[in-house]
Amino acid sequence: MTKKVKINAAERMLNLLALLSVRNQPITLKRIRQELAGQYSEDPDAARAQFERDKSDLRELGIPIETVVLGGDQAGETAYKVTRNNYEFTDANFTPQEIEALQIAAATVRLAASESEVALWKLGAERVRPSLGARVTIGFSDPHLDVILAAISKRAPLSFTYKGDDRVVDAYGMLARKGFWYLVGHDHLRKAQRVFRVDRIESEVKMGKPNAYKIPKGLNIAKAVPNDRQMMAAGDYEHPTAKVRVDSSLVRGVTREFGREAIVSEGADGSAVFEVPCSNTYAFRLWLFAMVDKAEVIEPQEVRDNVVRWLDELAERA
Amino acid sequence: MAKKRATKAKKSAKKPAKKRATATKPAASTTRTRATKRRGPRSASERVAGLLLILPWLMKRKRVRLPEVARQFRMSEEDLVADLQMAAVCGVPPYTPDALVDVFVDDGWVIAEIPTLFSRPLRLTSAEMYAIVAMVDAAQRLPGASKRTALTSAVAKLRRLTPDSDDNPVKIDLPDDPLLEELQRSQQESLELRIAYFNPARSDVSMRTIRVGKIFSERGHWYVLADDDKSGAMRNFRVDRIQSIVRTGKTYDQVDVARRAESEADREWFGDTLESVTLRVRDDASWIAEAYPTVSRVKNRDGSVDVTLRIGSEHWLARLLLRGGGNVEVIEPAKYKRLQATTATEVRAKYV
Repeated sequence: MTKKVKINAAERMLNLLALLSVRNQPITLKRIRQELAGQYSEDPDAARAQFERDKSDLRELGIPIETVVLGGDQAGETAYKVTRNNYEFTDANFTPQEIEALQIAAATVRLAASESEVALWKLGAERVRPSLGARVTIGFSDPHLDVILAAISKRAPLSFTYKGDDRVVDAYGMLARKGFWYLVGHDHLRKAQRVFRVDRIESEVKMGKPNAYKIPKGLNIAKAVPNDRQMMAAGDYEHPTAKVRVDSSLVRGVTREFGREAIVSEGADGSAVFEVPCSNTYAFRLWLFAMVDKAEVIEPQEVRDNVVRWLDELAERA
Repeated sequence: MAKKRATKAKKSAKKPAKKRATATKPAASTTRTRATKRRGPRSASERVAGLLLILPWLMKRKRVRLPEVARQFRMSEEDLVADLQMAAVCGVPPYTPDALVDVFVDDGWVIAEIPTLFSRPLRLTSAEMYAIVAMVDAAQRLPGASKRTALTSAVAKLRRLTPDSDDNPVKIDLPDDPLLEELQRSQQESLELRIAYFNPARSDVSMRTIRVGKIFSERGHWYVLADDDKSGAMRNFRVDRIQSIVRTGKTYDQVDVARRAESEADREWFGDTLESVTLRVRDDASWIAEAYPTVSRVKNRDGSVDVTLRIGSEHWLARLLLRGGGNVEVIEPAKYKRLQATTATEVRAKYV
């Protein structure tokens, strides 16, 4: 009787991968069990379950395990093989200088996610200490990200719940802005292009069949996601713009946001009056009140009256 | 150290004997190779995924110090050694030395000199490809970014590998600021600066002399972490709140300031010393729960959310309450329950 040896699943998976990679011909599970003696259970059903699990885990890691139905003496039996060129990275030869340049770029813009680091390692690079100069950290750790990115590359529709509705979305692209990830795509429910904030997805994200759609040519992902300024203009309030006096301490920031062309007049004290969009009253109010008492609506009178009413309502809360 | 050397024995040992050296150890709280940050023992799949990254990386370098490999892959040395020991006994039957993974740990070094099995990395997934191209794209758009041809050609090679070679569908929108270039130059040349800085917590502008240690972007804003003469410590300044910059003509010890900036950067942005406030937010004020780091979030039956966050100043809270409008209220502490009303009254005074 052979002595039982406890094999851990990771070791068995590596041995299975090695075996399938080096054998020139597809091999059956029976043969695999013989070759990896003692590593799979002696019970055929248990061994089959272990093998299926290993196969599924390896496929999950991006290793395609091909199945072949044999003929001849073994007619009807399923055999398995792995072709190294189908999963190994051999496509690009980066020079040491290119690898170094990528490392430096990666130290400058850091994605707080495994994807970018794993990509670096696969390219043969390494994480290096950031050098002098500006550095950017982008959160890239949303649990839905992997499946969304895979769907974009495969042109496979996504299904998820958003704002209480079940959506099917042809994913076109993603944008990282101000600490959030946005998904841009065609929403089958609304029959139009829509933007979804990824952290607000309320369910699991499932991927449909690939090659189901095309990404519109010339689509600008950054422009597809409205910025604060565009949000303030996206509404149906009858007054499209308002003139707002901004204290000198905040003039630089507001100029950066709306450009010098938004300045209507400048005061001797350094203050300035800006003409800004206010069609979306909610977005306008959020922007205005961020400046607390450093900003005042000058006109139109109706917008000014609205601000007074909002403030009176809050002043009466207690 | 004996354990680390154990894998050298693989050259002569038979398979079953080697199994004994491969017992996995439950990882305490180590960061996972794929940054999953889950606690508890690692799954077989996680360990294999890690090894398929580490082994080709090692075989390219042949000899790397153990702590360096552990640091690079964000693993504990204990986990790393366990995984390498396991890999060293893996291979192809009949498991002769030339059919095993050639890796071993010896005297603090990880050695993988003969590329046998697993010498080439897995292909990049689309997510990894998109991520690295987006990252490099963003790095190239930063002020003062390197225009080196090596990066340009690396990007061209990467682009050829992506499913969307003409335009990466993953973009990073970086904030822009005209002062950034001057701040970078002052850091590179160790030039001390005099700045006028608007402090929203006090709603005033103060003059400060700073020595830039780190420039970084988070949540859509640029910040400078600098040695500040006014407070005598390292301080974060939001770049869009800097009103003006003038060089003082003095230089400073960049190494010292950068080192202090690095250690300061590890500190929590909001320490325990700051005051905690609990707000109840609903409907169109729900963004408050998403926009700031929170201590806790509790969803109530009526759909509202009780958010506890740390506040930098009363003025900061007042501003938040004003913006939140009728859909935010202070739960505690009681002293802030009327803060929204008094702030609204103060701002209302402008509209007489």
